[in-house]
Amino acid sequence: MPPTKLPHIRLRRSLAVCLALALSFSLTACSGGKSSDLETLPIDTYLEKPGDFLGNRYVLRAQIDEQLKWEKGLGRVLAVVAEGSDARLPVFVPESVGENLHVGQRYELQAIIEQGGLIYVEALHKY
Amino acid sequence: MWKHYTSISLGLCALLFFAASASAQGGFPMGSVAPSTSQPARANASAPTGGMLESNTFLEMANRVFDPSSDSMDFENGSFEWKGKNFNLSEQRAFRSRFERFLLASPTEEEEQYAKLMADIIDRLSVSNNNSDDAILDTWELLFRASRFDLDGGNSTIVANQVFNAWRIRKEARGVTMSQRELQQVRQYQQEVVANRAMALKNIREKRLRESSSNQRDEGEAASGETEAVTSEVAFRMLDLAETEARIIALETQSAMTGLQAKLQFQSQIVSFMLQRRFEHALVLAGFYQSIFKGSHQSLEVGKDQLQEFLPGSDLAFTVDSMTFIAREAINDVNKGVDAVNAAYKEDRNLIALERLQEVFFLGEYLTELNKIPTDQRRHMLDLYRGLIEAGELAEAKDYDGVSELANEISKLADDFPKNRVLSAVQTAKSMSDMAVFAASQYRNLGDIDKARAELQTAIDIWPSNPAIREFQQETTKLATAGSQGVQIFDDLYKRMDRRGIYERRMDLGFALAEDTQRRPLLMEVVEQVARIDLLVNQSKELVKQGEAYAAWELLVEAAKVDPSDGPMNQARAELAPRVADFVLQIDRAERQSEDGHHAGSLAAYLAAQDIYPISRLCRQGIQRETEALMSGLRTEESL
Repeated sequence: MPPTKLPHIRLRRSLAVCLALALSFSLTACSGGKSSDLETLPIDTYLEKPGDFLGNRYVLRAQIDEQLKWEKGLGRVLAVVAEGSDARLPVFVPESVGENLHVGQRYELQAIIEQGGLIYVEALHKY
Repeated sequence: MWKHYTSISLGLCALLFFAASASAQGGFPMGSVAPSTSQPARANASAPTGGMLESNTFLEMANRVFDPSSDSMDFENGSFEWKGKNFNLSEQRAFRSRFERFLLASPTEEEEQYAKLMADIIDRLSVSNNNSDDAILDTWELLFRASRFDLDGGNSTIVANQVFNAWRIRKEARGVTMSQRELQQVRQYQQEVVANRAMALKNIREKRLRESSSNQRDEGEAASGETEAVTSEVAFRMLDLAETEARIIALETQSAMTGLQAKLQFQSQIVSFMLQRRFEHALVLAGFYQSIFKGSHQSLEVGKDQLQEFLPGSDLAFTVDSMTFIAREAINDVNKGVDAVNAAYKEDRNLIALERLQEVFFLGEYLTELNKIPTDQRRHMLDLYRGLIEAGELAEAKDYDGVSELANEISKLADDFPKNRVLSAVQTAKSMSDMAVFAASQYRNLGDIDKARAELQTAIDIWPSNPAIREFQQETTKLATAGSQGVQIFDDLYKRMDRRGIYERRMDLGFALAEDTQRRPLLMEVVEQVARIDLLVNQSKELVKQGEAYAAWELLVEAAKVDPSDGPMNQARAELAPRVADFVLQIDRAERQSEDGHHAGSLAAYLAAQDIYPISRLCRQGIQRETEALMSGLRTEESL
């Protein structure tokens, strides 16, 4: 029969789990899209291999260049020009996030890279 | 047009035989071909109507332009007309030979001496000069000097002989006259004798009558014997007289006949010289004639038929004087003609100079006035003359390339030569022949072999050496042989999807698969595809020339969609790629991302490509397509 574990060891394990949960919660709260601490999207690398960025979250400061498509109840695909780059990028803005978006407006976009390399905007605000 | 291909194989073989025999013989047996009643091909062919008319028009033009002969020379009827006088023109070849010999010759000092001698002889015979027998004799002797010149051709000897003959006849006539005079004296004596004998007989009879009453019968017998003797002597004397009379008449007749013969020979020779254009000799002989025969003997009594031909329509009485006048006029005209030739040559009107020279040469062929034309001018005229004749012969043979080449050469020799008219006519004739060949091809492709044959005949009639006729023959040969192998060739090529290979053999295969309902649509499809590729590639090349490299690339991308393995298209892409590398990179990336399902990445690449070439149709379509794909994916996720 194996020896029984000591009670103080069990206590330490419980504390470690609690700390981990607390850290995990705080991280989740931060990545909820409302924080601007996210990294800026590396545009050149993204253009070469968008598949490498799937699931990541980034912040993107950009100016709206053109609305490529809009679908009621779904959202719109925009072409934006990122700050510090000449390249135009396609982004999807869900209808729930979108406001009145006009060509030429500048926004700071918080986005996640979805399937197919889609830059899915989770939050945005003018700057 | 494919539906028309049925049942033409046999006709094709017939046409092939027709074209081959035409090519081999340089023409077609007209008897085997129905008269050309073809109308313009209804499809794309436009048959040249009146091809023969065009051919004849060209020949008429060539005859006018390349015929160096003067209008006054009619070789067909063999006549040369000069101021209403008709000379017998020799055969064209003979005339050409003499004319060329003249152009090759150079004036010599000997000819100059001969000219002076003849002028001297003519001058001596002039009525205004000394016409004594001695002077005439001196002039006559000069004829033998003249006859020693080659240029004279021995005609002065003929003149001298004629004159001598006339003199001899005159001398003989003098002898006859003397004999006549003597006979007349004998006749007078005989007449007197006869008259005396008649008187004596009369006296005897009167005496007998007086004595009859007293005479006795015996005495009467004696008187009768005397009377008989006188009667028989008278009869003899009368016989002598009749004989003398007969001899006188014979001598008179002989004299008249001999004189007439000399005159006729003289006149005949004058006319002969005139018709031979030996005007100087005609003048010399006429001069001697006028000095030998009386003024009342000037009417010409021989050669009237020849003179009627020489002066048609003239009802004048022909005299030696009128012959003299015509001869002098001809010599003057030759002089003026030579001056005109030289003047035209100096003014670089060489074509006119050549025409006039021929007239002058024919009229004055035996006159030394032609020596006023310098040697170098003669050589120039010879080159021009030969060039025109050769060009005429080439035109007759319808060798248009040769005609054009010679026309250029001739125009260098004669500024007044209508080169452009010739070249234009050549071009028109060639075009008409080409059009006829094209129409023949169209009719052949439509399966109308009879019309194809008629058009080919027209093409050959206009331009027998047209290279397009040879091509037509080769094409027809290929079509005929392709018929049997076509199905297998098509299957092989189609299996390998060698569209270009099929396209290049489309004509052969078209005929081969004319009745194949299964393969024919496939063939048509491939032909249309490659034709589209060719169109796009050609348009692309045009755009490259205009500096529109990205637009050109887009056309090649379109062409690649039809057949990515097409050789000419890929070659064009390879040549253009370095100039549009940035654009191509983004497009390739977009397509690759799209294939991987990364529509956003593809969309981003299309946007980048559009930044390079904003009006790109490829980018616009790609953006639209990829955006739609993105939205579609999102819609699907949303619905889940």
